Amino acid sequence: MAEATTTNDSAASLPPVEDERLAHRGPVQQLLTRPEIGALIGAVGVWLLFWLVSETFGTAGGTANYLDVAATLGLMAVPVALLMIGGEFDLSSGSMTGATAVIVILLSSDTAELGGAGLSLHLAVPLSLAFALAIGWFNGTLVDKTSLPSFIVTLGTFFILIGAKLGFTKLFTNKVIAEGLDRSSGYEFWDNIFGARWVRNNHVWENEGWSNLWSSRDWAWSGLLIIGAVVLILGTMELAYARRERPILGGYLVSVFGAAVGAVGFIMLLNRDSTTSNWIFGAVTGAGVLVAVAGWCLARYQAAEREPVLSELDPRAGQYLIAGIVAIVGAVLIAMFMDSENADRLDFLIGTPGRAVLAIGIGATGVMAVLAALGRVSIGYPAIGAVVALVPGISYMVTVQGARAILFGGLAIAGVVLLSIAARRRGLAALFTLFTSVSVVGLAFFVRSEADSRKLRVELFTALLLIALILAASAVTRHIAARRSSAPPAPAHSPLARQIGLGLGLIAGLLSLIFELADSDGILYSIIMAAAKGGIVAFAVFALATLYRTLFTSDESVGRSLVFVGLGSVMLGISARLLFITNEELAVTRGQTRFGVGVMLFLAFAVLGAWVLARTQFGNWIFAVGGNKDASRSVGVPAARTKTTLFMLVSASAWVTGMVIAFRLNSVQADVGDGNEFRYIIVAVVGGCLLTGGYGSAIGAAIGAVIWGMITSGIGFATWNSNWRFLVLGALLLVAVLVNNYVRSQAEKVR
Amino acid sequence: MAEFLELNNISKFYGNIIALTGVTTTVNPGEVTCVLGDNGAGKSTFIKILAGVHQHDEGTLLMEGEDVRFNSPREALGRGIATVYQDLAMVPLMSVWRNFFLGSEPKTGMWPFRQIDIEGAKRIAKEEMGKMGIDIRDVEQPVGTLSGGERQSVAIARASYFGARVLILDEPTSALGVKQSGVVLRRIVEARDQGLAVIFITHNPNHAYPVGDRFVILNRGVSMGNWAKEELSQADLTQLMAGGAELEALQHELAQAGT
Repeated sequence: MAEATTTNDSAASLPPVEDERLAHRGPVQQLLTRPEIGALIGAVGVWLLFWLVSETFGTAGGTANYLDVAATLGLMAVPVALLMIGGEFDLSSGSMTGATAVIVILLSSDTAELGGAGLSLHLAVPLSLAFALAIGWFNGTLVDKTSLPSFIVTLGTFFILIGAKLGFTKLFTNKVIAEGLDRSSGYEFWDNIFGARWVRNNHVWENEGWSNLWSSRDWAWSGLLIIGAVVLILGTMELAYARRERPILGGYLVSVFGAAVGAVGFIMLLNRDSTTSNWIFGAVTGAGVLVAVAGWCLARYQAAEREPVLSELDPRAGQYLIAGIVAIVGAVLIAMFMDSENADRLDFLIGTPGRAVLAIGIGATGVMAVLAALGRVSIGYPAIGAVVALVPGISYMVTVQGARAILFGGLAIAGVVLLSIAARRRGLAALFTLFTSVSVVGLAFFVRSEADSRKLRVELFTALLLIALILAASAVTRHIAARRSSAPPAPAHSPLARQIGLGLGLIAGLLSLIFELADSDGILYSIIMAAAKGGIVAFAVFALATLYRTLFTSDESVGRSLVFVGLGSVMLGISARLLFITNEELAVTRGQTRFGVGVMLFLAFAVLGAWVLARTQFGNWIFAVGGNKDASRSVGVPAARTKTTLFMLVSASAWVTGMVIAFRLNSVQADVGDGNEFRYIIVAVVGGCLLTGGYGSAIGAAIGAVIWGMITSGIGFATWNSNWRFLVLGALLLVAVLVNNYVRSQAEKVR
Repeated sequence: MAEFLELNNISKFYGNIIALTGVTTTVNPGEVTCVLGDNGAGKSTFIKILAGVHQHDEGTLLMEGEDVRFNSPREALGRGIATVYQDLAMVPLMSVWRNFFLGSEPKTGMWPFRQIDIEGAKRIAKEEMGKMGIDIRDVEQPVGTLSGGERQSVAIARASYFGARVLILDEPTSALGVKQSGVVLRRIVEARDQGLAVIFITHNPNHAYPVGDRFVILNRGVSMGNWAKEELSQADLTQLMAGGAELEALQHELAQAGT
């Protein structure tokens, strides 16, 4: 369309905003200068840790549990982060959450029975909001007018609130607890707002294989996946090709045919109820959609010159190609012929001679290692010894089942690597990425068929499929981008991304090794599992770095937004699969998980906070008043108003939090929330906010809250003694802050 | 003829402290009025009165013949008086473009989704800096990472973009090296040639004399006088500024400057 071409043209003719004096900073390095990066890494690490040590942590139930903790914290942490960026603290924020809850209950409780004013909740709830806003306004105005540190002023409010809560509660109810919210008038209405929950089954796939239960939720799921993939492809086409002036009719016909096949496949998919037919018709649907999209693209877009086909590869590439194919065929044969149910050890194959070889190998390795350490022989000799020991060692320790997994996995990966090298030799970076994508699909199915734990199977499978999908899309973009630009293609991964990927992979691998060893099926199996987990993590980081680079270095906005929409729908589709529930599923008696409305509010707050901070004038002013108040005042920023608004924002959020707390329990202790203000501040700091103001992130604070939630509930899931909770919490928070600092300074250095 | 901006006997008192008395001068478009004085001479008070941070206690401030009094920086800005402070009125942790548009962000979108026009803001910041002859490396980089001269340039470009008619520069060269001072002096001349009225505050007569059209000298809060360039040589200016006591030290400094 005209719009698209104009964008392309102007992007091509305008000089890039980047300057030649700047050292090139890859997107990953740019990402690392973000304030929330430390928290993000920390969150991934903490999640991995508990995912590895606990069965329940990664389930919907576990997620609901830690998100709930995170939500009550994060609802406040986000506005507190904004206030901190604006250069102020609010120590009364914690007790304010409790204060609003107490006020609502005292105002609405029936006077005769429980003490309280007996107001309708329709009056009491808005009144408590007004109270919160008034205190916020008071704090802000006092700080501004007196120029006292907000620390002191809000410390005063803090004590006043604590005292008032205790005093009034005792006065009205003669107890230090305010209760009986559910007996107030108007309870139904407000409970639907602040006490709402949404329900899903906890692991619907239990016992049955997760693809069996096909219900209306899955309509949404698969529909969104398909739409997402289609939009993704259209986006990449839009990014890369010009539209034809006159569409080709044949292309439309092909497209219609593909759509018809896809529709048939989809209908069959919904009408059959076995795992096999699900896979078959899933594939038919996918193929139909693919044909439809291909036809559409053929009709609408200018064809480009063809990429060299495989037969044109040079001889060395050909050798790699053949080796790769052989390895994959071998992997498939092994998978077919070795018994996956056989848990016997393999050592019957080697007998005593094998054990002798093993002993000799180990001994030789040890001797050679000592010699190598002394500098007498090259490091290669102990390596040879290790290999000699390894072969019988494997058969001694591993089961038939395990050997099958190792051989299959090893050969499959080797095959894919060889194929990738073949592609790489011809500079076909896109093909390379595509192979990687295929290999991830393979890995996904491998995990699905081999993994012991249901949790691992299902979650990893979904995640790997998503990665594969993204990689495939990235391959297309990459291919196109390489063709469009005359410049040599950028290296696939920046060194920093590689380091982070390897580091995280190593940590995940080691952690998993430790915990796998605890209840082991054999040391080697544990090692393999650990390596696999570590490898997966490292690979995911690599893949994301590649994707990031591919997607964000081009300027064309139409295609880019399409790609985003596509990715969004894919993710939405998967979360629809994981998070929502249908009536059919509710009817099945299984464990159920409830997510409180606080979780949704928390996510909304985080997104809203991030948007306000980064994109709006008010956000700009927040940074400015925190960074240099006098300077911002002198260029016309209403500093006093900005700060007062921030204080009121914090109080209003405290009101929301207070309502969520009150409607969850229907009764509150008078001291609820006291002392939480420091948690909010810590969480914001973990999320990258500077204590001195002027720098930070709302998303970071939200991630910090999630970390906190994960740690507090994860320790329970891991069945560790909860007395250690604060030790772990403290250590991890410290690490997050240090990582924050370190990564930021590293990123600045690379600049 | 009415002067563009006319100050008559402007005075300012903080309690019983006389910060500034009897300052009289004129400022016109296309001219540079230099305000010279040593530390504590009242230069800062003078700027703050013009910029609306403080209000004068005596005397009159006439803008285009109208008696004015600025109650807030925003008001002074509204009348077209832009001030580039010694501390540059910049937020060091914020990026160049965010600083450039701070307080007057261009916006786009309908109300609930009203947001800053980031692409436009970046483009304009880059262009405006280019007009001043500064090729900023990356408008996303924090102002704190810029050199002193570059920061001055950002501030001057910002002032001229937002339609300033009077540009007040507070000691723009004091923290800079020789070469960078030269750059900033060139910016002053460029701003003057664009038709701005420039008020250049400095304690360095060597910087003031080449660019100035009119000189006001302050000493301990008292105005020593108000001269046009023709009435005064550079030596006179130095002499006047130094006063009696510091003369010896100054001669020493001049001897150094001469070599």
